[in-house]
Amino acid sequence: MPLSNYILLSAVMFSIGAVGVMLRRNTIVVFMCIEIMLNAVNLSFVTFSKLHNDISGQVGVFFVMVVAAAEAAVGLAIMISVFRSILSVETTDSSELKL
Amino acid sequence: MTELLWYITAALAIGSGLGVVMLRMPLYSALSLVLHLFTMAAMFAFLDAHFLATTQIIVYAGAIMVLVIFVIMLLSLEGTEKRPSIFLIGIAGAAAFGLLYMMAPAIRRTFPMTGGSLQGDVGTIGKSLYTDYIFSFEIASLLIMVAIVGAVVLAKRIKKNAT
Repeated sequence: MPLSNYILLSAVMFSIGAVGVMLRRNTIVVFMCIEIMLNAVNLSFVTFSKLHNDISGQVGVFFVMVVAAAEAAVGLAIMISVFRSILSVETTDSSELKL
Repeated sequence: MTELLWYITAALAIGSGLGVVMLRMPLYSALSLVLHLFTMAAMFAFLDAHFLATTQIIVYAGAIMVLVIFVIMLLSLEGTEKRPSIFLIGIAGAAAFGLLYMMAPAIRRTFPMTGGSLQGDVGTIGKSLYTDYIFSFEIASLLIMVAIVGAVVLAKRIKKNAT
């Protein structure tokens, strides 16, 4: 399989994730779309690692996974804490700081 | 045979990615994302990154998605948001497809057909991780530590009579 196909797939997945972040109102779905974008970047990391015959790209993916796990724990805790105070996780409902 | 499998996996990846964005119930989005993470693990396996494929399934599909689904069920979220108009989705899809159609030949020209013979097994990654990237590795452990404490502090119920 030519490596360009992986790059194209990565571009498509990143665009889908970005569109989801912009369109969706539910914070958890936005969070999941960010995960899709991270995965798209991971795929291109691994592809470039294969292209240059260098393991550093895959080590980078490992660190992205670590940061994503930390982000998931803290992000979901924030969502629970927001849900406790305003009983909703929609982005349009948490507009206290809006002028 | 491998080529056919690749295209099936890619179609599944795009379909499940679209499912995450389009489905109204957050739980269905989460299940769609699990499928997406599995197809991405398959893509890593196609690229001979065996360690990452396994880690992807264990960490993402195993740990993170369980956490997400747990939170969705805890908050008993239902799909309350309106679906964006079909017209806008059509315009966005057409624009994305057009851009990709223009980009694809350039990308195909630039990249060689196949890469090197790199095998991303545990030994190779571990060696690099514990020599060149040892500082980042330690920082990552610190980050996870901070994340655990932060998650507990944020999600803890604050008592009414506390200051």
